[in-house]
Amino acid sequence: MSLNTDFMVKVAQTAIQGVPVTLQIVLVALVIAFPIGILFALIRIYRVKGLQRLVQFYVSLVRGTPIIAQILIVYSAFPSLLNMIIGRAAFAINPIYYAYIVFTLNAIATLTEVFRSALQTVDKGQMEAGLMVGMQPRQTFWRIILPQALISALPNIANTTLYLIKNSSLAFIMSVKDITAIAKTEAAFNYNFLEAYLVVWVYYLIICYAAEVVFYLLERYFSKYRRPIKKTSGFNWLPFGIKQPKLERKQS
Amino acid sequence: MLTIEGLKKSYAGNDILKGISIDVNKGDVISIIGPSGSGKTTLLRTMTTLEEADGGHLTFAGVDKDFEKLTGKEVNTIRRNVGFVFQNYNLFNNKTALQNITEGLIVARKVKKSEAEKIALKALERVGLTDRKNHYPSQLSGGQQQRVGIARAIALNPEVIFFDEPTSALDPELVGEVLKVMQDLASSGTTMVVVTHQMSFARDVSNRVIFMADGHIVEQGAPKAIFEKPSEQRTKKFLTDILANV
Repeated sequence: MSLNTDFMVKVAQTAIQGVPVTLQIVLVALVIAFPIGILFALIRIYRVKGLQRLVQFYVSLVRGTPIIAQILIVYSAFPSLLNMIIGRAAFAINPIYYAYIVFTLNAIATLTEVFRSALQTVDKGQMEAGLMVGMQPRQTFWRIILPQALISALPNIANTTLYLIKNSSLAFIMSVKDITAIAKTEAAFNYNFLEAYLVVWVYYLIICYAAEVVFYLLERYFSKYRRPIKKTSGFNWLPFGIKQPKLERKQS
Repeated sequence: MLTIEGLKKSYAGNDILKGISIDVNKGDVISIIGPSGSGKTTLLRTMTTLEEADGGHLTFAGVDKDFEKLTGKEVNTIRRNVGFVFQNYNLFNNKTALQNITEGLIVARKVKKSEAEKIALKALERVGLTDRKNHYPSQLSGGQQQRVGIARAIALNPEVIFFDEPTSALDPELVGEVLKVMQDLASSGTTMVVVTHQMSFARDVSNRVIFMADGHIVEQGAPKAIFEKPSEQRTKKFLTDILANV
């Protein structure tokens, strides 16, 4: 068996058009889910009557079902619903909107839990200190609690993002033309499935690695206040490196 | 200046404070001592509205009301007129030493930033930490953090500063620097209410000592009287126990 490298180059060239689509899905989902996740986390932490149950139910619902089932349900339910409201035009909607819906709903549930645990890691003494210098609870939340919580949430937000990137490949089911869908189509024309899938593999690897680097830099930048004097472990720049980066110790 | 009468507080059916009355006059340095679980910390927290009291009356900063009837506005007034130094410092972790002090001034008092920084630097100078102004709490020792905590309280120029066991979380060799700052404050006429296990501070710095046990004030008076001639058996026992360990 030999790989058809010419074909791989060709697939790589066409599938690259799917990269923006994949990134779009991820970014839209993150940007919308971010504030809603914080809000839902607060509802859960402060046990807001009525709403708390709803949020909890929602989170369990999303976390307890496979994403593929969610995609199938949204993709069959929404068009028919819309069909009843706006008629035939419903079927002309770009399917990427359905992808936005599914992945946003998904990210909301994940981020709710991420923010809930992050907010709970902030010591309640921080709020008390805020009150005792005369700040309102709301001011203390925005200026003291939330910034600290977001920073401790960063590793988990990175995780959520990576899952989103990878899960977005399922959007091909809704005939969204992302990386996976384009490669699959190419492969089906030429029966070179392995080659096409290898290309897909590499693309996701590159995107995920880039996301990891971005989050690492964000974390390093924002958690400067948490670093005593010695450096924390660095980022493993080699994706397949077995050697872990050394801890640098600076004396002061 | 600050008077509370019959302050009561209970948690889940346990009475922690069983009717406490205290009078704080301007310039007072009051030490509250007593065995653990006697309600000292709870007393401080309810007096400063960090926790809701179940009963009692408060007269302070123009507020003259029962604790349960305090409105949000009155709670703000009270908080605005007290300073609080926490046992575990509770500095804002995401702010530098200087920002820790300016935060309350800028956000709550609406002081201009440049003005606030001037006040904060002066406060840092009083606790001897001007050179640490740009350090984050995680980069300071416990003693330094607590001194920033004290600077944060005095910068707001409150009527009275409450100290909740300010040296209990510190390594023994760091206790001295914090006590020294507190001593300086006391001698400059700052009104202070201090919950402490540092008997030397209670005896040498404060002008009144309150001995608490089981949610009651057992005895109070001048430090000399309390330490040398306690009239209550409980006070006597507590002092012999604690002084035996020094």
